[in-house]
Amino acid sequence: MAAAVPIDRECEVVVLGGGFSGLSAARALARRGVDVVVLEARDRVGGRSWTESVGGLRLDRGGQWIGPTQTRLQSLADELGVATFPTHTAGEAVELRDGVRHTYAGLIPTFDAPAAADAVEAILDLDLAALEVPTHAPWEAADAGRLDGTTLAGWMDDHLGSPVARDLLSVAVRGVFGAEPEELSLLFTLFYLHAGGGLSNLVRTTGGAQERRFVGGSQQLANGMADEIGDRVVLGSPVEVVRFDSDRDCGVTVTARRPGDGSWSVRAERAVLAVPPVIASRLDWVPHRPALRDQLAMRMPMGTVTKVHALYDRPFWRHDGLNGQLVADAGPLSSTFDDSPVDGGRGVLVGFVAGRDCRRFERDGLAGVKAVLEQLGRAFGPRAAEPLELGVQRWSEEAYTGGGPVALAVPGALSTLGPALREPVGPVHWAGTETATEWCGYLEGALQSGERAAAEVLDALGARS
Amino acid sequence: MATAEELAEAFADWRERSNGNPRLKKMVRGWDRVIHFVLADGGEGFTMEVRDGQLSELVPGQVGTPDVVVTGSSEDFCDMFWGDLNPSEKYMSGEITLAGSQADVMRIDAISMVAFLDR
Ligand SMILES: Cc1cc2nc3c(=O)[nH]c(=O)nc-3n(C[C@H](O)[C@H](O)[C@H](O)COP(=O)(O)OP(=O)(O)OC[C@H]3O[C@@H](n4cnc5c(N)ncnc54)[C@H](O)[C@@H]3O)c2cc1C
Repeated sequence: MAAAVPIDRECEVVVLGGGFSGLSAARALARRGVDVVVLEARDRVGGRSWTESVGGLRLDRGGQWIGPTQTRLQSLADELGVATFPTHTAGEAVELRDGVRHTYAGLIPTFDAPAAADAVEAILDLDLAALEVPTHAPWEAADAGRLDGTTLAGWMDDHLGSPVARDLLSVAVRGVFGAEPEELSLLFTLFYLHAGGGLSNLVRTTGGAQERRFVGGSQQLANGMADEIGDRVVLGSPVEVVRFDSDRDCGVTVTARRPGDGSWSVRAERAVLAVPPVIASRLDWVPHRPALRDQLAMRMPMGTVTKVHALYDRPFWRHDGLNGQLVADAGPLSSTFDDSPVDGGRGVLVGFVAGRDCRRFERDGLAGVKAVLEQLGRAFGPRAAEPLELGVQRWSEEAYTGGGPVALAVPGALSTLGPALREPVGPVHWAGTETATEWCGYLEGALQSGERAAAEVLDALGARS
Repeated sequence: MATAEELAEAFADWRERSNGNPRLKKMVRGWDRVIHFVLADGGEGFTMEVRDGQLSELVPGQVGTPDVVVTGSSEDFCDMFWGDLNPSEKYMSGEITLAGSQADVMRIDAISMVAFLDR
């Protein structure tokens, strides 16, 4: 039985995590008159969405893009009066392959045309297979066990003859998941692609996941949701212990740190855990852990990604006929995009160091940072190697995130433990983009998961009265 | 604006190359569909059928119920059929649009890119 702890605050629902998912759950509940408290570990809301001022610019250190069919995200932006603008795409992209620079137009590097055709065919095969995997229950896919016993790399062995095509696909996968094809369950990969409209959609700027950005950055949307919820959002309060007694319907008590004030305990009828799976697993659970959910979380590691911003006085690459996009077969950067402000008054390139390249980068220290600058120079000319500033955001160092952009599922995870992803455990409900069935891994998915968790909680509270 | 004859000539070239391309044959296997091409710059457009792994000849006008509707300028269609234009550039700029079920759109997108790359 859970030991009694002194209670500092009682409410109907306590939400752990003030990212997009937690805030969307809390806001939906507050709008229905539910007494809700949000405990956020950091001294800001937004989680993996984090906009900071650097040299007078608002730069997104985490999630930043919005694309077609992300309707919740778009409505939220409309509601809060946050405008969007298209990613700059005019001009050619750069490919670095085997140390040689090529430029290309369109979606995919075309230098080695047969290899590119191989890659296009493979992406189509993956995307069509993905449509057969039900997003609400991937473990119910025909052949789920076999698909989950295979890695994406295994699938690539069977479907991609040319090493260049394999590289092209690996670069795309590295960027989307922050992981290597060897790490990803094929079942999970297909689920994820289905939820986001296909790999062909996830790698696209115009018409796809990287189509538009928010003027002033994505974190404004989290701030806007938090403002509506008001002082029931408590910052700087990392939860350490979750106590509930699954045998008796007597609510849940969470104990959190409070800045300068030791700890405090909040008691509620229901809790929504709106954190990445692995972060929920790091909590103390009293008297015992939510076993299956916890076991699943152990099989859902975070990806590995570091985001780099290079600032220049002008987006000079545009005058060279380039669109700021880079695709590279060797790191540190596997891709870049033009991240200049809407007026184009300053130049910004945003780059991703992901998966394998990111692990090497973390080991290399300063040499890794130097390698980024050299790579920018090789891709966009010597000026690119000398930015006014270079911002480096290492998501694996973040105590309350653990990596990024998203958690992935290793082979065997979803087919054996999948239903535990969303199944409530006693009074505990699960949100977070990892639990989404639409746009899993994205801001849109975070919003969807929060709304779904809020609906579950409302049902549960309604059944009580 | 390209004339109907120019379009037909370019398409005939595309069709011959496509029907002879083993990769494309594989990609349209079992995918029997009716495709309408709509000319954004006027003109009556045309219809193509994919049947038994082969592209049909172009039929003038919009015939039958389409599975996919491809809209673009006659010039872009000509360039695309001749293999001079990377269709993914035009999809990304929105100058050529594809409408249909998600799976059909994915497939025609990939097929047209492979036809360009594998020419
Ligand atoms: C580099 C990068 C680029 C990305 N790019 C995009 C993009 O362009 N477009 C897009 O849509 N998505 C993008 N994403 C993904 C997107 O940011 C996430 O899907 C989304 O922000 C997840 O929201 P969430 O609420 O599920 O989780 P999180 O944002 O992780 O929120 C969890 C919250 O819980 C808090 N927390 C953790 N532990 C505790 C605790 N013990 N007690 C209390 N609070 C706790 C955290 O501080 C955090 O605020 C990107 C992510 C990264 C890292």
